[in-house]
Amino acid sequence: MMTDPTAEAMNAVFRAEVGLICGSLVRITGDFDLAEDLVQDAVVVALQRWPVDGVPERPAAWLLQTARRRAIDRLRRDSTYRAKLQLLTDGWAPDVRSDPDDRLRLIFTCCHPALARDAQVALTLRAVMGMTTSQIAHAFLVSEATMAQRIVRAKRKIVDAHIPYRVPDADELPDRLAEVLASLYIVFNEGYLGSGPEMSTSRDLCSDALWLCGLVARMLPDEPEVLALLALMRLHESRRATRFGADGALVLLRDQDRAHWDHSVIAEAGALLEQARRLGRPGSYWLQAAIAACHAEAPTFEDTDWPQILALYGALVRLNPGPVVRLNRAIALEHVAGPVPAMEELDALRAELDGYHLYWATRAELLRRFGRLDEAADADRRAIELTDNPSERALLETRLEPPVIRALGANSN
Amino acid sequence: MKYMLLFIKNEEADLDEVAQRAHYAAIDEWFSEIGRDGKLRGGEELQPSNTATTIRFQEGRPLVTDGPFMESKENVAGFVTIDVADLDEAIAIAKKWPPKDQAVEIRPVVNHDDMPHHPVG
Repeated sequence: MMTDPTAEAMNAVFRAEVGLICGSLVRITGDFDLAEDLVQDAVVVALQRWPVDGVPERPAAWLLQTARRRAIDRLRRDSTYRAKLQLLTDGWAPDVRSDPDDRLRLIFTCCHPALARDAQVALTLRAVMGMTTSQIAHAFLVSEATMAQRIVRAKRKIVDAHIPYRVPDADELPDRLAEVLASLYIVFNEGYLGSGPEMSTSRDLCSDALWLCGLVARMLPDEPEVLALLALMRLHESRRATRFGADGALVLLRDQDRAHWDHSVIAEAGALLEQARRLGRPGSYWLQAAIAACHAEAPTFEDTDWPQILALYGALVRLNPGPVVRLNRAIALEHVAGPVPAMEELDALRAELDGYHLYWATRAELLRRFGRLDEAADADRRAIELTDNPSERALLETRLEPPVIRALGANSN
Repeated sequence: MKYMLLFIKNEEADLDEVAQRAHYAAIDEWFSEIGRDGKLRGGEELQPSNTATTIRFQEGRPLVTDGPFMESKENVAGFVTIDVADLDEAIAIAKKWPPKDQAVEIRPVVNHDDMPHHPVG
């Protein structure tokens, strides 16, 4: 029986099957580059055939068979690959399940620290999730040629520098896992911040990142930071419906309609955080998720537990003393200790964050608190210059309009 | 799989005599550890880059000049070749390199046994 495939249905099949197939082919051939190419070829053929023929009843078997036919075509043309062709024929097993799950090895290879972060992200999306080069290029706003080159280079390095196909040993695991989680969070953020009120891409990167993080959590159930990142993504996701106004402008946390937050997702995330806390010392994702949970669990903006948030940011700054974390801590500081110490902190961060739009947007908010309206408008203009995101620009531009026009605009919606 | 580890040093930083002795003692220890495991395939410490001479070819004619190929504060101060299973093992060894003010660049070595028709260079 064939089913009528929507893009979403096909993506679900790719997610479920591609990583397993690719992982087992890398294991069988010992050649990451070749195996990954074959699976990508099969995905591209599926994207052409399935909308016409329907999704096959056994899509994994179909993809494997297609990959195998591509392998034979390709290897016939190249005599040095004969031995590998033999391996594909002999070792061909329709059952791609293995223990440990091949996908875990695949993810650690794709996210190896010897590869640049943007290449890690692209390779993971291709090899594990079955995204095509064109879809990845579209999602990350680079040309397909640039993305293809990035992927080819990374794969060549995996082969030429002998990056191994394995799950790291226990002593390396924390560092290596941090690489994986950073890549997953980039995928999520690209979907979360990059998407406007209407979704234009054929893949929802947020749901891909959530799915992948859930997979890693199932494969490594005792790692607290994996659970914490999953909780963090869910907490962001729980507010998704309220993030944009009818005009497409970003709605600030304080103005979002809390009745439309997904409170069952927030409760689930809370349970994940509790589970993570029992497994180990709070890491960077745990602290970020705990901060997001404080916001999500507050019945109103005024009820937000700012002292708790400030304490969590304090712990986060000690763990990860970057300027952006300190900027966020300064916002919490304003709610606890008032605008004067917050402004002192912002002044101290100015040199480091001069090119960061949210620095200027935050500064503008704070200047308004002091009644320094002209300076606030200048800071908002600077923030607008520094961001391309249409929803953020729309919000900032609203703040620059005189109050009367703003009121009229609000009435017309 | 062979890798060359290139040790990159800031030549402007100077060690006093006591620090120098500790520096060499730690490096000896590192060498004997990888030597014991049978992974070392030779290596050398180099004189500073102000002793370097570079030959460039201009229209095929050799031109001899004073100094390293690239002017920089940071220069290659030594190298070793190791023979290990994969990049992860090379990284693990490089991470243990004792002088923490240096950088270690890991370069896979071309295996000419795999490419019989490929000439050297």
